[in-house]
Amino acid sequence: MYRKIGEGEVNETTNISQVVEQIVAEKGTVQKSVIPILQAIQEKYNYLPEEALKKVCELTEITPEKIIGIATFYSKFRLEPAGDHRIKICVGTACHVKGAGLVYDAFKRHFNLKGNEETDASGKYTLEKVACLGCCTLAPVVQIDDVTYGHVASDKIANVINDFESQVGKTGRRKGLFRTADGEEFQGEIRIGLGSCCVASGSAEVQKAVEQTVEGTGVNIQLKHVGCVGMCHQVPLVEVIPKNEKPVLYAKVKPEDVKNIIGTHFKPAGLFDKMKNGMYNFFEKVQTDQVWEGVQRFSIDFREEKVSDFLDRQIPIATEHRGVINPLDMEEYKSYGGFKAQYISLKRLDSEQIVQKVFDSGLRGRGGGGFRTGLKWQMVKNQQSDIKYLICNGDEGDPGAFMDRMLLESYPYRVIEGMVIAAKAVGATHGYFYIRAEYPLAVRRIRQALANCREHHYLGENIMDSGFSFDIEIAEGAGAFVCGEETAMMASIEGNRGFPHIRPPFPAEKGLWGNPTLINNTETYAQVPYIIREGEGKFNAIGTATSKGTKVFALAGKINRGGLIEVPMGITVRQIVEEIGGGVQGGKKFKAVQIGGPSGGCIPASMYDTPIDYESLIQAGAMMGSGGLVVLDETDCMVDIARYFLSFTQNESCGKCTFCRIGTKRMLDILEKITSGKGTKNDLEELKYLAGWTQKGSLCGLGRTAPNPVLSTLKYFHDEYEAHIEGRCPSGKCKDLIRYHITDDCIGCTKCAQKCPTDAIKFEPHKVHVVDTEKCIKCDACKQVCPVEAVEIVSP
Amino acid sequence: MIKLTINNQTVEVPQWKTILEAAHQLEIDIPTMCHLEGTEHFTSCMICLVKDRRNGRLMPSCSMPVADGMDIVTNDEECTDSRKAALELLLSEHVGDCEAPCQLVCPAHMNIPLMNRLIVKGEFAKALQVVKRDIALPAVLGRICPAPCEAGCRRKQVDEAVAICHLKQFVADEDLKETIPYLPVAQPSTGKKVAIVGAGPAGLAAAYYLQLKGHQAVVFDKNEKAGGDLLKIDREILPSSILENEIAVIARSGAEFRFDQTIDRQKFQEIKNEFDAVVLATGSQEQENPFGLKSSKQGIDVDKLTYRTSDDKVFAIGNALRPSKLAVRSVGQGKEVAAIIDRFLKSGTVKANPERFNSKFGKLYQVEFNEYLKESVKAERLDTQNDFSQEEARAEAERCMHCDCRNPESCKLRLFSDEFDAGQKRFQTSERKIVQKFVHREGIVYEPAKCIKCGICVRLTQQYQEEFGFTFIGRGFDVKIGVPFNESVQNALRKTAALVAEKCPTGALAMYGEEEHLKSGQ
Repeated sequence: MYRKIGEGEVNETTNISQVVEQIVAEKGTVQKSVIPILQAIQEKYNYLPEEALKKVCELTEITPEKIIGIATFYSKFRLEPAGDHRIKICVGTACHVKGAGLVYDAFKRHFNLKGNEETDASGKYTLEKVACLGCCTLAPVVQIDDVTYGHVASDKIANVINDFESQVGKTGRRKGLFRTADGEEFQGEIRIGLGSCCVASGSAEVQKAVEQTVEGTGVNIQLKHVGCVGMCHQVPLVEVIPKNEKPVLYAKVKPEDVKNIIGTHFKPAGLFDKMKNGMYNFFEKVQTDQVWEGVQRFSIDFREEKVSDFLDRQIPIATEHRGVINPLDMEEYKSYGGFKAQYISLKRLDSEQIVQKVFDSGLRGRGGGGFRTGLKWQMVKNQQSDIKYLICNGDEGDPGAFMDRMLLESYPYRVIEGMVIAAKAVGATHGYFYIRAEYPLAVRRIRQALANCREHHYLGENIMDSGFSFDIEIAEGAGAFVCGEETAMMASIEGNRGFPHIRPPFPAEKGLWGNPTLINNTETYAQVPYIIREGEGKFNAIGTATSKGTKVFALAGKINRGGLIEVPMGITVRQIVEEIGGGVQGGKKFKAVQIGGPSGGCIPASMYDTPIDYESLIQAGAMMGSGGLVVLDETDCMVDIARYFLSFTQNESCGKCTFCRIGTKRMLDILEKITSGKGTKNDLEELKYLAGWTQKGSLCGLGRTAPNPVLSTLKYFHDEYEAHIEGRCPSGKCKDLIRYHITDDCIGCTKCAQKCPTDAIKFEPHKVHVVDTEKCIKCDACKQVCPVEAVEIVSP
Repeated sequence: MIKLTINNQTVEVPQWKTILEAAHQLEIDIPTMCHLEGTEHFTSCMICLVKDRRNGRLMPSCSMPVADGMDIVTNDEECTDSRKAALELLLSEHVGDCEAPCQLVCPAHMNIPLMNRLIVKGEFAKALQVVKRDIALPAVLGRICPAPCEAGCRRKQVDEAVAICHLKQFVADEDLKETIPYLPVAQPSTGKKVAIVGAGPAGLAAAYYLQLKGHQAVVFDKNEKAGGDLLKIDREILPSSILENEIAVIARSGAEFRFDQTIDRQKFQEIKNEFDAVVLATGSQEQENPFGLKSSKQGIDVDKLTYRTSDDKVFAIGNALRPSKLAVRSVGQGKEVAAIIDRFLKSGTVKANPERFNSKFGKLYQVEFNEYLKESVKAERLDTQNDFSQEEARAEAERCMHCDCRNPESCKLRLFSDEFDAGQKRFQTSERKIVQKFVHREGIVYEPAKCIKCGICVRLTQQYQEEFGFTFIGRGFDVKIGVPFNESVQNALRKTAALVAEKCPTGALAMYGEEEHLKSGQ
């Protein structure tokens, strides 16, 4: 119907007014409500309409200066409308080394986007690069709205879009996610992974298939959800535990495999016929399922695989009972010793004793710095104040790290228990979970877990009748890596731009709203219940002289078995890569492992036996960081890796201090010059000079550690820098320094010519094809599609 | 109380005081830019880094609280190096000119934009005073100068250069129409005497500025009257009356002329004995090694920065150094050598005139023309052979785009760049930012490309509870200071315009009419 534009605007405005009023009524009118308010508005409109922001200023104490300052600080917020669907291309480390850049370029070509354009002409899709989605083992990963695609190759974009279009609208129909039944009747149990990697790889579909298969067959099994098993390289995972039989773990399961799996273990009469049909369907599908060519939203095959190597060297403490307990099942958590430590701490120990135990355990902060946890608790405990805060730092932003995400998703009660114990120890009155925006599943789980805890008196007033009261709320991040820095995080919780602040005063002295505040990393809290329950001595007995206990790492990159691992301190890099990770993928040569993400460094092959502990890593020029561990092989260019990490920190710099704001940008400029082959010897000197000053002069940890990836690669891979200055990229990664060439092995199948987006390869059946280097945009599509590996990369 | 040492001096201050505050108690100066007393510290510019000798760590003194036993050093090499590094980074993204390109290319370094703005206001006498700070013979040069300044004029990119030379002639002519043309009050007599050989443009200028500094200038010339090569110029172009009138002003300043003097080696020796310093402004030299001074085919050898010859008290300027048709260069050198000799006579040492740091960014991008025209008018160059009328002069001067900075003297970035010898080009590794100007002619001018993101203005507008105020927009390298909801700068600063302009450490924020070069009397 015809509507006058003027009226439309009025309607729109009143609409916005009403919506904002409702949001404000729900989220509050004080400064700290600003981020939740903005999130709610964006949720509603897909962006932040100016009208809405003005209305917020009208209704709350939030000033225009604050609201714009915040809306433009956090990368999640948009001030311009976006397309109906948002395509997020993960550019985390693992994705980067597996070609996320090429995937991004391919999407841009697909939608015909020029320059800085992000939304396609139809306004349907908006493209964006996002920091690590934490599905590193599925790299490269692309998320369209809430559907995650793994192993996306640059020549499979159309398939991904087609699949997404076929999925639109289906996502809301996932029902019956949970089945409760009488355990006694079960013939066995089927466990389905519910970590982000599993969910992303289609575990929900697998579950549906299980439900459908079992329906009406008379097979009585318990379907159970478990948290992340850590074997993210094999997702989705299904573990079958027949009654009185050995459990079997199936990896990379797809829905159509389910019938076969169930049939193998459960054979009631009457199922056999169905199974036959099922098998038939299965093979038929395998042969016709062309749409799925290469797009591993579900995996290609399923097989039984012994995974003991992966698990044997690990000691689960933060990840205790992994793959066994349902993240949100409180009874189950209790049956495995959950809340016992909380009970001991609240009922039997005084705060001094708790602090002493944690001190004696030797636990050090798992967020990167490695500060003695007991000492930190002592500092906060000693402060005289009626109000004390406690924060769980779950703002894991390192590209290539997903420990916090997994711990929050899979062991929410354990983290909460650790926090309650810490609260009792330091006398905290109120707690916060600070969880980054990219982890919606973690937020949902924690929210539910908190509600369950309150209901069962593990949280809130007079916890477990101990007389101790403490509650926790969630503060969601909005896309700012710097908020992992504790002073910036507090600024963010208070409802400000995430600008870090000089220390001292330390949060322990003057933290949130000027009150003493304890901030520990998620993993640190997750290890506390074990220490209290099993005794500090047991924890202390694990590890090295100065680094005690275990550390959780996210193992990703060019590795056979990536995933989440928890290993004793002191284990060597070699042991992790070779024994747990099963060595480098594709039989390639190990080149280095990047530890600690953008604040860390690379440990080269020559130092393969470096033990993993705080001091050894620092000495090697890396750092524990939050625990990202990305394996690099001979095809990875170390200058490109340095440039990659620096572009990350440069992009995440808050912009407050000169050295970080401009220093990282200038270093990046120089690195880009070098990787494009225009660098000079003098550029290397200037790079070192800037790295030195950025390290010494920056205000916070982000800036101070930003040069580490550059310095460590300069140290161990100086020859690669020199090669670039001479115009060569030895690994064949840097676009400006390579060209594509087709060798005589070419069989003239024309696949490359068909895939080439720029007609750089002429369609010549049965002839050796030729790449026109003038037209070639180095998208790698030809190399990926060639069946005989006749496409090679040449660098002079 | 906390006890610490700063530069080996012990000081006691209360807890939570900053190192900077403790240093002030000891009257130790530490450079700062983002710090502003009365507002919360922000720790942004990092120019105030000092070192704790106990652990070698550098820390921002403006915000780091004192701690017992600190052993602070504020000015060792590492500290000053850190300042230089911070400044060079800030300069790498600082897009603006301290001084206008026209002024920088003018051999006499005349403050052209200021002259233009005074002409626009109708303050012709003041404009002439500005001219005469650098040029002793403006009416003459206005007629004969090939105007290198106009080649450097940014307006040339938009349409045509401002008729700078003609405007200079206009103000000079206006002055000569006065019964008593302008002559500044000279400094008290020093009793020192300087001989100047040659009464051409270089010698005349030297004489004029030496007189103003309080020294007695005595000009020797082989001719019967002053002017040197200027006397050879066509009278149509340079009427005798103009030349004579301007020379008369110089004579009125007290300079003594001795005509019909041929200076041979013996006479030169006599002069040297009699005078405290000698300036050779003889014009092109034909003889080799004149007066026994080192020279080359071109002319007398001098130290490029001080004009000193191989003889300690003898200086040489103008065409005596090498042949040139640019009278303005000779005139400029006359001014420069006067300043050098003044220092020499007062302190005994010969030191080059300080070369000041100058932020420069070169050509405008097309998209910037309109930004610059905001301070100008869209009008064509007024090309006339005739002398400008007052109205014409004002109209032409209005075409000037105000390329120079409003805070060339108070800008801390410039000040410290000079002090710590920071260069601008070193880290200009990517395309520069686009210049924008927010001009409110009754109030404030905001030029974001000059901003160093110190946040002082944000804190002030917050403190004074402006309705909109300034805010940080974006983050990281692309962060900028702007007004929420795209309100005008004027609306953002209803209460605080003058205050933020005053406190801005650079020229990013300034009041429209700000003329520091008039205040400083430079």
